[in-house]
Amino acid sequence: MEELPAHDTWQHWFQSHGPKLLLCARQWTRSAADAEDIVQDAFVRFWRHQRHLPGDPMALLVTSIRRAALDRARGEDRRTRREDFSLVGAGEPTAEFVSALEADDRRLALEDALGRLPAEQREVLVLKIWAELTFDQIGGELGLSPNTAASRYRYALAALRRELTPADCHG
Amino acid sequence: MDDELKDLEAELRRLRPAPVTDRLWARLEGELATAAPPPAAPADWRWLWSFVLPAAAAAALMVWQPGRPAPARGTGAVLAGGALRPVAAENLLVRARDEGLVTLDDGTPARRERWTFVDTITWSDPRTNASLTWTVPREEVRVVPVVFQ
Repeated sequence: MEELPAHDTWQHWFQSHGPKLLLCARQWTRSAADAEDIVQDAFVRFWRHQRHLPGDPMALLVTSIRRAALDRARGEDRRTRREDFSLVGAGEPTAEFVSALEADDRRLALEDALGRLPAEQREVLVLKIWAELTFDQIGGELGLSPNTAASRYRYALAALRRELTPADCHG
Repeated sequence: MDDELKDLEAELRRLRPAPVTDRLWARLEGELATAAPPPAAPADWRWLWSFVLPAAAAAALMVWQPGRPAPARGTGAVLAGGALRPVAAENLLVRARDEGLVTLDDGTPARRERWTFVDTITWSDPRTNASLTWTVPREEVRVVPVVFQ
């Protein structure tokens, strides 16, 4: 992803990237409200102090969001393992999407299938598809080798394909 | 990756994350409406040092007094209003320049040396493990009388 345009307004940037950041935050938080809090803090800090730093702003924000989410999780319950904060583990619906060209039932089927993915596969998928990070960046973020990140991504896609019924695939 | 997975990948890319809620927009508007001005472009270090060095020298003059020990490991001093305690002090000599012979007001010959340090002092709060590190450049001019035999 390219660097932040020098004269971009925060509204313009957040309009296109905010939903992706929230989706990422939802991978590591218990609730949508927690995700909003964390994205707000990270984005305000980024916009005030970090937006002129070189590099990919999305990667920087994702790092900031993930750390804040994990800190919050530790603060809330130090005994809880990180996996327990996954959306599926918390028994909440997966991240919300809006339909583009697909029929709504197809979107729901995809969302449902995404929600049933193991957390470690889903976070890689989200970081790759919607945060548009490279496998190198994802590996760095999650403490994995790029090859492991790529493997998890392929496993996630394969699992999604298995989850979706033939009828869904043609929906 | 086979074609079917590529199709699935393309389909996922067409799914757009739900838009940001009005509540979050309002909160961001509130925070960023009062945002500080954007940070300046990366600093010109020569410009920065021209301000920092005199300021540091002035600060050092105000802080350093003969007979008063500099903060050091184990002094146990407590910063006003907080539980931070100095736990480490380091003086790194980064440059020493011999400026040659000078003559003092009383006619005594002397050698003037200009030493540049970077002082780093670290404070820590033992209760929370919070730490604060203060790093400042310092310049010291030493005038050493010279005796010719």
